[in-house]
Order: sequence, then structure tokens, then C-alpha cells
Amino acid sequence: MRNLQWILLAACVALGVLWIFLGQNWIFLNLFPGLLVGPGLRLDDYLQTGTSPAFVVFWAGCITALMIWIGVTWSSRPRSSAQTRQMQPMWWVAAILLAVFGWLCLGWFTVFQWQVSGTSPIEGAANNFYPLPAGGWMLLMGFVLLDVILLFWLPTLLASPRTYRLVVPGAVTLLGSR
Amino acid sequence: MKQIFAIGIGGTGAKCIEALVHLHACGLLADRDGNPARLGVFLVEPDQQSALLVRAQTAINRYGAMRRSVGRNSERFARAELRDYGQWSPLTTSTGAISLDQVFPKAVLRTQAPGVAALFDCLFPPEEQSADLEVGFRGRPPIGSAVMSRISLDKEAQVGQWQQMLGDIQTAAGSGEPPVIHLFGSVFGGTGASGVPTLGQLLKNWLKRQGLTSIQVQASLLLPYFDFEGVANDDTGVHAESRNFQLNTDAALQYLRTSGRACFDRVYLVGSDIKARYGFSIGGTSQSNAAHLVELLAALGVRHPGGSSGGYAHVLSRSEQQSVSWEDLPDDEEVGEGLARGARFAVAWRNNISREITDAQKVPMRSFVSGAPWAGHFFHPAGASASRGGRPGIRDKEQLTVQSAIDQYCDTFLQWLNQITSNLGSGFRQELMTASLLAPSDRFENNLSRVVLGKARPRRSEAADTVEAIKVRLDSLGMDEIPHRGMAGLADCLWAQVV
Repeated sequence: MRNLQWILLAACVALGVLWIFLGQNWIFLNLFPGLLVGPGLRLDDYLQTGTSPAFVVFWAGCITALMIWIGVTWSSRPRSSAQTRQMQPMWWVAAILLAVFGWLCLGWFTVFQWQVSGTSPIEGAANNFYPLPAGGWMLLMGFVLLDVILLFWLPTLLASPRTYRLVVPGAVTLLGSR
Repeated sequence: MKQIFAIGIGGTGAKCIEALVHLHACGLLADRDGNPARLGVFLVEPDQQSALLVRAQTAINRYGAMRRSVGRNSERFARAELRDYGQWSPLTTSTGAISLDQVFPKAVLRTQAPGVAALFDCLFPPEEQSADLEVGFRGRPPIGSAVMSRISLDKEAQVGQWQQMLGDIQTAAGSGEPPVIHLFGSVFGGTGASGVPTLGQLLKNWLKRQGLTSIQVQASLLLPYFDFEGVANDDTGVHAESRNFQLNTDAALQYLRTSGRACFDRVYLVGSDIKARYGFSIGGTSQSNAAHLVELLAALGVRHPGGSSGGYAHVLSRSEQQSVSWEDLPDDEEVGEGLARGARFAVAWRNNISREITDAQKVPMRSFVSGAPWAGHFFHPAGASASRGGRPGIRDKEQLTVQSAIDQYCDTFLQWLNQITSNLGSGFRQELMTASLLAPSDRFENNLSRVVLGKARPRRSEAADTVEAIKVRLDSLGMDEIPHRGMAGLADCLWAQVV
């Protein structure tokens, strides 16, 4: 892997950390409060105990998938273009699994963990889940897809090593003319 | 520019020319400044059906075709100029005669010079007089000498291949570094043993008459290095026998000692005490003896700075009885690097890069480039057939012609390398290359670390010595490091990156 690719990889990871731990929460709090607030749901509480842990776990999943991708492509010695291209479906599988994993994380921290523990996330409320409106679900699920792009596609696009340099979707268009 | 005129005489001479062409392709024939020499090759052989002649001619033709197809689109690869003067048979001078008694018509001799006819009968037994010489001089130097001595270079210089070559020699003598004429042939067979000294002497005399005394005539003379397996049958007639090889050699060396300087300015004597085994053949298409390391060593004689080193007869020896390694080759650093580059290029190109190009014909170019980023530097990434930015389409007919020409030469070169590294003789081993890897393969060969062995192998860890690593280096080349695009540009960059 070239030095520039290491730098870009580190920059992407750092950007991802800032995005997940600061940027995203700020956007939820300041740009989309109307979409996320449901009956009896306090946005501060939900961001602290619902979306933040969900996106942190999801971020850890993305970083793990990214490291596995870099590790596999770094250590592989494909003999041909066809063998290199065999990683393309792998990339798509990883991206889809990450999106599903992100949605499951949201589901766990918003609904399932409260169902399992039998408690309500909102004091005095009867429901054992955060009553997130449909628009809020759509927004958060959209952000999961955005995060897959930011935390997995972008770093794999910029830092896939050796002959895997253009194997990530869109790489030929964006980087192929170098 | 240094100019070399190489003449291969007989089957062994043709095999040496084959070796010389491959050395030339590896850039190992150059002048003092490192510029590629211009090599002219000429094959002298009465046996026009000889498989050895065909093979040498194939190497010449394929290198020529590759060089023509690459054209000016290369800075380093296939830059060495090769001129083919073709094949010539000493029998063509004698109006269709194919036996000694037709070359020297006995009926005429008996009436016009009975003494000479008697001498003719005394020197040549009836079976030699009537033997069909279209398969060569049948391992009998006296037959060859009788035919060869009738050649008149002054007459030959008026027509055909001799005219072209002698004309070029005259031209070359008048421009810069004097050219070198190098003859190749065995001293233990028929055609070479009789033809090399005879032609050497004819050439020296011709040069003297032309006032071209600065031109050196030298020869690589091959001493016995193979035996025949199996024997001839009763119908074979007069034929080469390995039991005569030593006798023929002794006679040739005695002749060289007494009259050698009249034939050559210097000679290179190469043979082997450990003999390769070839199936018996009288000649023609069945004589398909595999290439041998001794022929490579003989061809390396051309590189020897004869004029400055002095001495007449040059020999070389190996350091270990049962093996040969790079250290045993003359000028081993440069020769090792050149041959290593050629061998590694041929394996990487034929068994990987070219197969990639072939596969690229079956998928969209964008898809191909996604797994082969290096390809985008040489071919249009959208696969357009029209050239844009100097990058032609990977499916352009012209590009595929270049690929095919390089493939064909690589096949020939790999076959030769495989043979010189595997055809060694009983109990003898070489530590130069891995013979099994020097063959076309459809496995997308990636590992290059075992292609070349010993000190000529590039100093690189085995894990990093792969075609994939070369592709990565090709991909990281800057625009100014890729002088030419397309197939020839790719081959040129691969040639530079492969060691």
C-alpha cells in the first residue's frame, strides 16, 4: 500500500470517529429534531441511550469490516484480473451485511433491549421501547446507509491496496483515469 | 553501431545461431557504449529439410516479426536489430547435384583427367560417392570439404544471399567500428567440420582481396557434446556415427593447429565431457536434437572482446565437475542479468500478462480494469477502438497482432530455455533456471522467484517476486515513466520492471 493510501485510510478513520461521535449527534439534535421526537420521547435521552450506542457499535462493525477488507486485500496475491474481481461480490456482501447490522443495532437499542429487559426507556411510560416515529426510523436507517458509504465505501475506495485499487464499486470511474 | 555477421554452418551451427538470436533478443550483443549491435545471420546447410535449420529459422523469423510489430513503440524491449540473410546450400552451386559423383562427374573425370578420377576413387568409397547429400554430409568431413572447396566467393558475391551479406560487410567496414564475422559449427560432424574452416578461409581471402583487413573472422567450434542413442538400420547408408566424433575432432584440431590462422583470427572451442543423448537421425525433419547449453556458450563467444584480449584459441571450464552455475558463464554478471530478464519476461508475459489480455477480450474493459489497474495506463479504459490520449483499445486488431508476435517469440524462447536447462546428460545438473517453469502454462503463473536461480535471480524476497508485484509497479508508474502506450508499451515497461 502506498504512503498516500495509508494517510487516506487514517484520515477516513479519523473522519469517521468525528462523524459518529460528534457530527451525527449534532445533526440529529439540530437539523432533524422534529422527525425523531415521538410521543413522550425526549431526544436528549434517546440520543444518549438509543442512537449513540447503536451507531458506536455499528461504527465498530464498520471498522472491523474495513480492517478485514484491508487485511485480505493486502495479503492476497491474485494471479489475474478475474481473480481480483472475485472480491467485488465480497465487497457487496460486506456492505449489505453492514447496512443490515446497522439497522439491527438501531433496532436493538431502540426496541429489542427494552423488550428483553422488560423495562421502559421512558420513565412512567407503558411501552417497552422508544416510540420513534416512522419518519425517524426512515431517517436513522438512511443514516446507516450514509455511514456505510462514509465508513466502508470511502476508505475501501481510497485505500484498497495493490491490484485491488479499482475493485471497489465506482473506483474505475473516480480513480481509473489516474 | 557494432555489426556482427554470424554464419551458422550445419545443424550445430544453426543451433548456435538460434542461441545467438536469443542472446541478441536479451540485449546481450551490444557495443562498448551499451547500444544494441546489429546482427546479421546466415545459415549454410545442404540439408534444407533439417529440423535444426527450421528451428533456427523459426527463432529468427519470430524475433524479426516481433521487432517489426513493436516498431518504434519501445525504448528497451526488442530494440536489437536483426538482419536475416536466409539459408544457403553449398549444393545449389552444382546444378542440381545431390551426390558427390554428380558434383564431380566421374565419367567426365575418367575421360578428361583419369588421374584425378583415380584419386577420387581412392579418397571416397563408392557408398560415399553415391550418397544422397540432401540430408547433409552424413557426418563425413571429407565429403563436405570436397563440396565446400568448390565454392567461389567471388562468384557467389554476385548473386543472392551471399551478395547481400558480403555487400553489407563491405558497407559496414566503412562505417565506424569494424564489423565481426563469426562462424559457428561443429568440428566432429560433417557439414560444420568441413564447412567452417573452408568458409573461414574463403572469407579471409575474400576480405584480403577487398582490402578489408580490419574485419576479424572468428569462429566458435563445437567439440563433441552429444552422443547418439540407438543405431542406424541397414538402409540408412552412409551416416554420422558417434564413434567417429573423436577422430573427426582430432583431425580438425590438428588442421587448426597447422592452418588455423589462415581461416580465423581467433577461435572459441567449446564441448562437454558429459554428453547429451540424442536419438539417431540421418538428418532432415527427424533430426530434432534439443538445444544444449554448449550452444549458448558457443554463441557467447561473439561477446568476447577478441581484439583486445589477444590469443588465438579460447576455451573455458566449469568450477564443478557435475554442475554448471552462473559463475561458469563468461561475463556472468551481465550475461546472467540479460538471460534472467529474458526468461522472467517470457514467463511473466506468456503465462500471465498475455493471458490477461486474452481474457480482457471477453469482458467489458471497465470490468477488466477494475481487476487490472495497470491495464488502464496502456489501453483506453473505456475500451474505445479509436485511440485517445495515446492509449489504443485493448481489442484493436493492430494491438492483438503485436500480442501474437510477442507470444510466438516467447514460445520459441521458452522452448529453447527449457531445452538448454533440461537437456544436460546423465548425472549433470545446472543451477541456472528451473526448467519446469520455462514452458507455456495456462495457470496464470504468478511466482517468478524460482524461474532464475543463483546469483542472477533479482535480489528480492520470494514473496515479493511475483507477476502481481510487477503489475503493482506498472500501476504506480508515472506518466513520464511510460514512454509508449499499447501492447508494445506494456511489453517495454514489463521488460524494464521484470528484474
